[in-house]
Amino acid sequence: MEKEKINLFFDAMVIGGGIAGGESALNLANNGYKVIIVEKDLSIGGKMIMLSKVFPTLDCSACITTPKVSEISRHNNITIFTESDVNSVVKMGERHFRAEITRRPRYVVAEDCTGCQKCEEACPVIVKDQYQYNLIGRKAAFIPFSIASPKIAAIDIENCTLCGACEKACPSNCIDFTQKALDYVIDIKSVVVATGFKLFDPLKIERYGFGKFKNVLTSMQMERQLAPTRPFNTILRPSDGKVPDKIAYVLCAGSRDDSEGNPICSQICCMYSIKQAQLLMGALPMADITIYYIDIRAFGKGYDEFYEQAKGMGVSFIKGKIGKITKGERGDLTLRYEDVSTGKIKEARHDMVVLSVGVLANDEAVPMFRSNTLLTDPLNYIRQEDPIISPAKTSIEGVFVSGTASGPMDIPDSILSAGAAASQATAYLKRIN
Amino acid sequence: MSKQAKILVFSTEKISDPAIDMAGLLKLHYSPQVYTIALRCSSSIKPRWIIHAFEKGFDGVFIAADGSDCAFSESCTEKTGNIVSQTHKLMQQKDIDPARLRMAAICSVCSESFVKQIKSFNEYLLK
Amino acid sequence: MEKRIGVYICACGGNISDYVDIEKVKESITGENAVLLAKTTMFACGDANQKDMDSDIRKNDLNGIVVASCSPKLHLSTFRAVSERAGLNKYNYVHANIREQASWAHSDDKPGATEKAILLVKAAIAKARHASSLEPIKIKSKKSVAVIGAGIAGIKAAQALSAMGDKVYLIEKESKIGGNLLNINRVNPESETGEEIVKRLSKEIENEENITLLTGHRITSGSGNIGDFVLTLKGNNNPGEDNFPEKEINVGSVLVATGFESYSPLTGEYGYGQLPGVVTLAQFNKLLKGQNGMSFVAFGKEVKSVAFIYCVGSREIKGDNKYCSRYCCSAAIQSALDLSERFPDSDIYHLTRGVRSYGKQELLYKEANRRGDLFIQFPDKEPPVIEEKDDKIIIKVKDILSGKRELEAETDIVVLVTGMVPVQDDNTGSIFKLPRGRDKFYNEIHMKLRPVETAIDGVTIAGACQGPKNASESVNSALAAAAKSHSLVSTGELELEPIVAYVDEDKCTWCDECSKACPFNAISVIEMFQKSIARINKSTCKGCGMCLPVCPTDAIELISFTNKEIEDMIDVLSQ
Repeated sequence: MEKEKINLFFDAMVIGGGIAGGESALNLANNGYKVIIVEKDLSIGGKMIMLSKVFPTLDCSACITTPKVSEISRHNNITIFTESDVNSVVKMGERHFRAEITRRPRYVVAEDCTGCQKCEEACPVIVKDQYQYNLIGRKAAFIPFSIASPKIAAIDIENCTLCGACEKACPSNCIDFTQKALDYVIDIKSVVVATGFKLFDPLKIERYGFGKFKNVLTSMQMERQLAPTRPFNTILRPSDGKVPDKIAYVLCAGSRDDSEGNPICSQICCMYSIKQAQLLMGALPMADITIYYIDIRAFGKGYDEFYEQAKGMGVSFIKGKIGKITKGERGDLTLRYEDVSTGKIKEARHDMVVLSVGVLANDEAVPMFRSNTLLTDPLNYIRQEDPIISPAKTSIEGVFVSGTASGPMDIPDSILSAGAAASQATAYLKRIN
Repeated sequence: MSKQAKILVFSTEKISDPAIDMAGLLKLHYSPQVYTIALRCSSSIKPRWIIHAFEKGFDGVFIAADGSDCAFSESCTEKTGNIVSQTHKLMQQKDIDPARLRMAAICSVCSESFVKQIKSFNEYLLK
Repeated sequence: MEKRIGVYICACGGNISDYVDIEKVKESITGENAVLLAKTTMFACGDANQKDMDSDIRKNDLNGIVVASCSPKLHLSTFRAVSERAGLNKYNYVHANIREQASWAHSDDKPGATEKAILLVKAAIAKARHASSLEPIKIKSKKSVAVIGAGIAGIKAAQALSAMGDKVYLIEKESKIGGNLLNINRVNPESETGEEIVKRLSKEIENEENITLLTGHRITSGSGNIGDFVLTLKGNNNPGEDNFPEKEINVGSVLVATGFESYSPLTGEYGYGQLPGVVTLAQFNKLLKGQNGMSFVAFGKEVKSVAFIYCVGSREIKGDNKYCSRYCCSAAIQSALDLSERFPDSDIYHLTRGVRSYGKQELLYKEANRRGDLFIQFPDKEPPVIEEKDDKIIIKVKDILSGKRELEAETDIVVLVTGMVPVQDDNTGSIFKLPRGRDKFYNEIHMKLRPVETAIDGVTIAGACQGPKNASESVNSALAAAAKSHSLVSTGELELEPIVAYVDEDKCTWCDECSKACPFNAISVIEMFQKSIARINKSTCKGCGMCLPVCPTDAIELISFTNKEIEDMIDVLSQ
C-alpha cells in the first residue's frame, strides 16, 4: 500500500544547508520568496560550523556561522528539513519542479526535546564521533555538537541497542522509537544546488601512513582540536596524549595529484594550514611548525600578508614533496622529502603530522534530477553553463548552483557565489511569475 | 606591569573605531588603561566632556579624529581643531597642561598609527 | 521607569575568555545598580543564547540589555534583533566591545585586559540606564540604483538589478563599455575573447528598459544618503562634439564597480621604458593580437622567445603593494598558451615566485608545462636581472627549482606580468568617502558577513575595485552586490537610526552658531515662547553632532550621546 505523502509548496528549494545554501536561502527569503532548505545531516551549518577560526582575519568561525544559522532557522520565509534526502526532482513544466523528499526519523520528538543531554548521559553505547572527526567518542543517543542547529537529540539507530535507558532518563518523554520516515512531495519553482564538497580521504595515499600511524591526522581533525568547541582542552597527539612540539603540515594531500585523479588545486589548503600554524603558535608557543609545500597559494585579499605574517612568527616553510612517512621511536614520525632548494632527499623527524587534505567534488545532486540531466564538468563538479557571465547557471533552466558544488572555493568566495545564485534565482522567479 | 597613564579616547563609529578594532585584530598591543568611547563624529565632542574626564582623573584625552575621511562634512578637520583649541583655553584656565589633550586623524585602517600615537602619548603623560 | 538590565558576557569560544576572566567580569558587575541578572555564555550570538536572552527578557520584564562581546560592527544588529523579538524596543540594547578592544588588544596582559573589560561593561551598563525606546525614522527610498563603472562587474550588476525590477543608471567614464576586459585576448576557462564577452554583455543589457546607459560620463559630485542620493554627472568634452550639459540623477543606492588599473612599471624596472622589447602583459596581448603573418614580428625582428616575469607590482618586498594580485599567474599562463598556439615554436620562459594557479586554473598550468614552457622560480629577494647585449635581451635569474643555480637566457621579449592597482583617478571613493583597506582598494565591512557593503550605508562595492579578482569572481561579487543594493531599494522604504539632535528650548538663545555648523541645513529658526529658538528638522538631521560643541549655552544634545550618558560613562571608566 502506498504511504501517504505530504504535499508542500515553495518558491525555491535549496539542497544543502551549509554556508552557501544558507546564504542563498537567506537572500531569497529576504526578497520575499518562500524557501525550503533540505539538509541530509542532523544540523545545518555545513563544514564551516565545525571550523576553528577563519583566515585571514582569525575571526572565530562559529561567530560568523552561528548567528547566520540562527537567522536562517527563525526566518519566517524559510523552512528547514534536516536529516532529509531529496529522492528525485522532476521538471513538470516551464515554472514547476516536483521533488520527492524523505525525512528520516530522528527517534526524538523535535518539538519536545529541550537539549538537556540527559539521554546522552544515560546511553551506554559509545561510538566514534563523526562530528569530532573520530577524535573522541559519542553516545548513540546524542546531540550532534554544542552549536548544532537544531540543538536537539537524535538516536543513532544503527548503533542503538534499544536498551531504553534514554527513554527512562528523558524528562520530557520525547524519545520515540516508533518514528517512521516521512515522505513529502514538494512543489517548487526553482532549485539551488548547494551540496558543497567532499574531503579527500587520505587512506588512499598509503605512503602517508594515515590510519596506520596514530599521529598522522587530517587537517579537519586538527581543526577540531583548535576549535572553541574542541574535544580536549589543548592540542594532543593521539598515540600518547603528549602535547606535540614538532608538527609538520603536508600540503596538497590529494590535490594537484594526477595519480589520485585530482589534478586541480583545492584552493583552500595553503591558507587553512597557514592559519592552523598561526593558531598552533599561539596555543603552543614552544612548538616548531613546518609546512611542506609545492607552491603557496595565498591569493585572496589579505592572504599574502597573512602568509608573510606566519613567516614572521617563525613558521618554517619548506618547498618539497613528501615521499614517505615512516614510524620512528615513541610514536614519532619520519618524513622523507625532496628539498627543492638543494635538490637533495632529506629526512626530518616530527612528533605529529597533519595532512592538508584537499577538496573533491560532491556530485550527489546529479542522480536526483530525473527529467533533465544536471551536467557535471570532467572533475564531477556541477557544470557552470556560462561560468563567466552567469556563474550560477546550470544545464537545467531554473536550477542554480551555489558555493563549492561548482568547484573549490574559500569561504568569502562561497558567500559571494551564494549571493550570485540568489540574485540569478530571484531574477528567474521574477521573470516566470 | 609598570604604571600606565589613564587615557580616554574619543573615537568615531565609522572611521577611527574600526581602526582601533583592527589594532586588536592584529594584536598590536597597547596599554589596557586606554578606554574608548565611540561617537558619531569627532566634531561632536563637547569641551565639557573632555574637562569632565580630566576632573575625574584621566591623565590624558586622545581624539581619534575622522580627518578628511569624515562622511558627514569636509569641514570636520577644521571643526575638530576648533574644539581642541577651545578646550585648550578651558584647560589653561583650570591649570591643566594643554598637552594632555591630543588629536590625530585616524583613518579606518590606521591601526598602526593609532597604536604609535597612543604609545607616544602614554610616554609623554608618564613623564 | 525603573531600569531592569540583563548583562551577557561572551566567552567567544575562547577568543575573549582566554585573556579576559569573564567570571570575574560577571562577579564585579553583579549587584551594580539596575543590573537584574548577569550571565556568561560560550557564544552570545549562538542560537541557544539568543533563545535564553529572549526568555530572560520576557520572564524578568527586562528593559535594558547589554552584551559584552565582539565589535558592534559585527553583532550589534544581531542583539538588537533579539531584543526586538522579545518585545523590547531595540534601542534599549547597548553593546560592549571586549574582544577587539580588550581581549585581543591586550592579550599580552591578562589582568589588565580583565580590568579594562570590567570597566567597559560597567560603562555600557551606565549607558543602558539612560537608554529608552525610540522609533526608527522611516524614509521613502528611490527605487533606483546608480552603478558606477561599466566593466564586467558593473554591467552584470546592472543587468541583475534590472532583472530584479529596479531602475538602473549605468555610468561609464569611457566612451564604450567593457573596461579592462577589452584588453584580454582570451578569458579562461572558456576560450572566449574579452571582446566577445563584452559583446554578449552588451546584448544582455541593450534591450533592458530599466537600464539607462550613460557612457562618457563622470560623476562630479554626490550628496544625500541611503535611499536618496543625488549624483551630478558631467559628460566628457570630446572635440567636435557639443558639451554635455550637467545631469543630475537621484537614486536609492550606489553600486561602485570602478574596477582596477594595471600596475604601470617604473622606468627602469626590469628595463621597462629603456629597452625595446620589455612590455607589460596588456601590451604583449595587444602585440600578439595584431600578428597576421606566419611569424611573430615585433620591435623590428622576429620573436622566437618570450620571458614572462611574474609579480611585477605585486607582493613587493620594498614597495607598497604587498598584496598578491590574484589573477595574473593564470592570465600570464593564458597569454603564453595563446602564444604557443599561434606560434608553436616559441621558447617560453616563466620567471615566477611560485605559480598561484588556484582551483581549476591548475589545468592551465599543467597544459603550459605539457607544451614545454619552462618554469623558473626566483628567490623573493633576488629578482631577475635584465641586460641588453647586441640587440638581444639577456635575463639572469637564480632558480629555486634547481638549487638556486644561476641561469642565463636570451630572449626577444620580456613580458612584465603586472598586477592590479586601484584606479588612480577614481573620484568615486572621495565623493562617497569610501574607506580603503591596507591595500588601498575599497574596503568591505566584513569579508564574510557583509562582503559587498561599505561603511557608508547604501553604497555597495563589486568587482576588482574591492580587491584583485578575475572575471568570473568579479561577476559573482557583482551579482551579490546587486542582491544587496536591490534589498535596500526594492521595498521603497527604509528605516534609519533615530539618532538626531534636539534643542533645549529653555536654554536656547538663538545665535545661529548651530545652523552655521550644520552640514545638512537641518537647523532653522522659529519663534516660540516669545523668543527665537533653533529647530531641528528630524528628517534631514543625520546625527553627526557637529552642532553640539558650538552652542554657547549647551542647549543641544544628540540622542543616545547626551551629556548624561557620556559623562556617566566617563565617571565609570575613570574608576
